[in-house]
Amino acid sequence: MNRRSLLQGLSFSMLAAKLSGASSLYGQAEGPQAAPSRRIAANDRVNIGFIGPGSRGQELLRQLLRTPGVEIAAQCDVYEPRFAEVNEMVGKKVPAHKDYREMLQRKDIDAIFIATPPVFHATYAIAAMKSGRPVYCEKTIGFTQEDCANVVDAVRKTGQIFQVGHQMRYASWIVESVNRVHKGDIGEPTHVYGYWHRNDNWRREAPNPSLEHLMNWRLYRESSGGLLEELGSHHIDIANWVFGEYPQTILGASSIAVYHDGRTVGDNVQAVLGYSKGRRMFFSSITDNGLMADQIWIYGTEGSLQITLEDATFYKQTSKTITEASHSDVVQEGVETGASFNADSAMPYRGPGYRLQAKPGEDATRTACGSFVECARNKRQPFANVDVGFGSAIACSTGRQAVYEERAMKIPAIHV
Amino acid sequence: MDTITLNPAAQLYRTTHPAMGTEYSLYLYAPSREQAAAIARPVFEEVDRIDGLLSNYRPGSELSRINREAFQHDVTTDPETFYFLVTCMAWSERSRGAFDISVGKLMKVWKFFGASGAFPSPEELAAARADVGWEKIRLDRGQRTVRFLAAGIELDPGGVGKGYAVDRAVRILRAKQAPAALLSAGSSTIYALGAPPGEAGWKVRVPSPHPEGGTISTVILRDTSLSTANLSEKNFVHDGHFYGAIMDPRTLRPVEGMAQATAISPSATDSDALSNALFVSRPEDRALLLDGRQQDCALVVREKQCGQEKQFAAEYEAIRWPAEVANGQLAALANAKEKVKL
Ligand SMILES: NC(=O)c1ccc[n+]([C@@H]2O[C@H](COP(=O)([O-])OP(=O)(O)OC[C@H]3O[C@@H](n4cnc5c(N)ncnc54)[C@H](O)[C@@H]3O)[C@@H](O)[C@H]2O)c1
Repeated sequence: MNRRSLLQGLSFSMLAAKLSGASSLYGQAEGPQAAPSRRIAANDRVNIGFIGPGSRGQELLRQLLRTPGVEIAAQCDVYEPRFAEVNEMVGKKVPAHKDYREMLQRKDIDAIFIATPPVFHATYAIAAMKSGRPVYCEKTIGFTQEDCANVVDAVRKTGQIFQVGHQMRYASWIVESVNRVHKGDIGEPTHVYGYWHRNDNWRREAPNPSLEHLMNWRLYRESSGGLLEELGSHHIDIANWVFGEYPQTILGASSIAVYHDGRTVGDNVQAVLGYSKGRRMFFSSITDNGLMADQIWIYGTEGSLQITLEDATFYKQTSKTITEASHSDVVQEGVETGASFNADSAMPYRGPGYRLQAKPGEDATRTACGSFVECARNKRQPFANVDVGFGSAIACSTGRQAVYEERAMKIPAIHV
Repeated sequence: MDTITLNPAAQLYRTTHPAMGTEYSLYLYAPSREQAAAIARPVFEEVDRIDGLLSNYRPGSELSRINREAFQHDVTTDPETFYFLVTCMAWSERSRGAFDISVGKLMKVWKFFGASGAFPSPEELAAARADVGWEKIRLDRGQRTVRFLAAGIELDPGGVGKGYAVDRAVRILRAKQAPAALLSAGSSTIYALGAPPGEAGWKVRVPSPHPEGGTISTVILRDTSLSTANLSEKNFVHDGHFYGAIMDPRTLRPVEGMAQATAISPSATDSDALSNALFVSRPEDRALLLDGRQQDCALVVREKQCGQEKQFAAEYEAIRWPAEVANGQLAALANAKEKVKL
């Protein structure tokens, strides 16, 4: 272990000790090289090792159980009650490990899923790739800027398959509508507005106070980038996809408007991200009013696109000023007078929308899991690859400071 | 005496939650509103999760995915969904096809899907024959896969989904150690957990199918469930016949001549399925449904035509029913067929 990873290890254990009050459970520094895994043949069962089967992790597990040729072979968590939950869901006893390094030592595991809180993503993902396994890692791929760069570096060096949990990239109606935007259906896209509004305190019940930080890691600055990272990262990723690049700057703000319960991240956040050619992304999240819910608007010079979790609707601008050659009839026949109302121009800024007729929307997480398993089998990098993961993660890790200090920051282009 | 004691300071709180096209209610004893809300939240999250799993109105649900793909290829599904389907098949077998979740096409042909029903054309009805039938569903336990043997099969969990959601939600109540609670899925499935302080259980009233008929029986339930099937939700009248949204998969038509079937069973999934199976079954098959299920009980109310005139009366049939039934209330049904709109 070199000095840097040792230092990283230390800071992880310090952070971890804070999170759990039991440092031995946490802060597992980068492990020794584990035995290389077996090679997966095209028709083999893919044995999954799962790290962090909490709320999101169990959803991923459920979708994996709906994927043919998959075996849940190992689970790893620092919170023991999870093991019984997983066993029940899988319908059998899944060998459990409290230390991910122990799990990576096993020879019968083909691919790793990571759904721990984000502070652990980089360490675990890098160790898993070094041990020779494809990795599905929840967003964001890293907590610090350095984490983000290290994960990209590890993918380059190991050549491993890496997929980030941006499942919106696998939603049929979103894929189709972004393709249409790229083809020019709404002209030149210039603005992406993401809303994620909800009406709940974003808090989880902790069985006892010593588990507060383990359960509610999302509410504390040392373990979470708050709403920007947890919710905004998905929308930032869509903006990156639409604009075809990473953002260069981020301006942020947040406050606690209602939930004065000891949390240190805001219960609302606003962020403006700058892209080349003056293009912008705006993200808003509030947690005491659910109007708007989770939706993304993409505004272009010739129309707009609204994306929700279920569908997508295009709106065309109807009142364009057009100049063309005139017929001389008007001079001979005169012009007619009549009513001026035209229903189509009632909302000139929006016009009538048309719903995208995409094929029935399978759950995007299922598609994402199925696609990852195929990629692991066929040794292909997935669509939501490490570059995708880097784009949202670097914006969020930089954005944390921008939001807390309410200022604009440059997003480093470490990777591009 | 009970090992779980109720805090004497506990009060009764009610939380309502819209889901599965109805309103769920949870009655719960808790020391404060906040604590009641803290228990209700995960309970209803679980109900919503089951809705997301089984809804045939949501394209993203696992059941919708199975409906779309299971004729083309074997669909691998998760153990929970798989065993839910196994349970449904077992009820189909036990009820000789009276209970059948493959009625999806039939519900559409009779316009009960997202609407309140209309008489289908003879062609539509004839075509539906091929698209209905639980024997056309293959479940492979080894592979955990589902396969449809006919192209038009569509699963509709309407006769069992709420019961299943109630069972799952009650697990959460138990895990949270709620000592006394009543969970109702829009009143068609109810689970009684424990008992209110000083009571033997939760009282549940079975109404007369006649809107003004009052209560025909009151049962006291503790750690068990009750479900009722009747036609009050979606129905229409065609040619003087009254049609409701409970299908006989064997005749491809809505069941006629039945007013209401109520079942009690420790599992809400079972009471829900059983109430529907009883509703659809022929009289001679009904008792068989409860054979060997010592904890299950039933109260069935059917209509019978008396005389040559269009005169109706109601009759009840009780199987191990644990309470008295007020026969007098049922008499109110006679001559009231028009008004009743059963
Ligand atoms: N893609 C999506 O739509 C989506 C949705 C929700 C959450 N997420 C992401 O999933 C991740 C988990 O979020 P969640 O809401 O499920 O959190 P959670 O707290 O419910 O689950 C995290 C799990 O990791 C375990 N854990 C914590 N530290 C660990 C460690 N050091 N080693 C092993 N296990 C550890 C916890 O005990 C818990 O079981 C986050 O990165 C979050 O951003 C993604």
